[in-house]
Amino acid sequence: MAQPETPEQVDGLLEKIADTALDDDYYVVRSGPDEQSRDFNTVLTGVVFAVFALLVAIAAIQTRSDRPATEQERTTLINDVDSRKESLARMEDTADSLRDEVATLKSSVVGFDKSYEELRLLASERPATGPGVRVSASSPPVGGGVITDRDLQTLVNGFWYAGAEAVAVNGKRIGPLTSIRTAGGVIKVNYQPIGEPFELSVIGDPDTLKDRFLQTAVGRAWEERRKDAGVRFDVARSDDLTLEATPKARLAVQHAKAIEGDA
Amino acid sequence: MIPVIGLALGIIAGLVFKPTVPTDLQPYLPIAIVAALDAVIGALRALGERRFNDRVFVVSFISNVVIAAFMVYLGDQLGVGSQLSTGVVVVLGIRIFANAAAIRRRIFHA
Repeated sequence: MAQPETPEQVDGLLEKIADTALDDDYYVVRSGPDEQSRDFNTVLTGVVFAVFALLVAIAAIQTRSDRPATEQERTTLINDVDSRKESLARMEDTADSLRDEVATLKSSVVGFDKSYEELRLLASERPATGPGVRVSASSPPVGGGVITDRDLQTLVNGFWYAGAEAVAVNGKRIGPLTSIRTAGGVIKVNYQPIGEPFELSVIGDPDTLKDRFLQTAVGRAWEERRKDAGVRFDVARSDDLTLEATPKARLAVQHAKAIEGDA
Repeated sequence: MIPVIGLALGIIAGLVFKPTVPTDLQPYLPIAIVAALDAVIGALRALGERRFNDRVFVVSFISNVVIAAFMVYLGDQLGVGSQLSTGVVVVLGIRIFANAAAIRRRIFHA
């Protein structure tokens, strides 16, 4: 409820500062022996002004003399940043070229060691492609003479004898650890079930493979079965066969070790 | 006449001797100059109003400079140096503007 008594009290802080800008002491008037000189032109005033000018001059000089140092520092920093950027770009270039080099070397490694690659191919570790023959066989629709796992084993074996270099049964590549067997009435290759009709892809010399096979005992037996028992058996030449690799699990060697020094 | 001579002498002394401020005092020089400028402008206004008093001038000059520098120093010790110097500059700036406005009014109006 207090009413502002003087205008001074409603003024804000900043207005108050502005209102009392001049030091109050200047308004105090003393008389008598202590009367102050109103003279501006005194030595005391001169000295204060000199000090003020000196302060300003010092500060100005200081700031000016500091500037080159600051400028220099800035330039150094800018140069530093630039050179770092340059070296970064250079290093990125180097990284790029090294990456390219690695890619080139990697691609050149494949096929670098011929005998190693050949071994991998023989071990059915790599997919194989080449000319050969396609063999399709299926059991007769009626009566006996069903194709068994043993029949397939001899068939594959006959083609190995005839000069096959890679064989797959119904797309399952025959590898060094592959077995063909019946389990639960289903024929399995690489532990994967296959069914009729049986399709063999055999890579080898397409000109001699068929004839050499048919000359073997196995070949002759199959020919007879085709004629007598109604087994469908067909060997056709194919110039472009692609056989996938044996699953990795069928290529793992756990117990066998190479004999040292026997190259 | 003497104050003008003092002003010139101070500038010349500064330019000739080029004294360097100790590094410890360097942060307080700018604020001290603003405070000193306030005292000087106030003195000029008092001169115009015929109230000038050299002793008041000297005391206000020295106390302005010392207090302004001390406040900044204190602020630095408390970790609010920049805020305190801003406050000091604001207050002194308002005073300088008010005094300069008073001088201007006296010269151009009256």
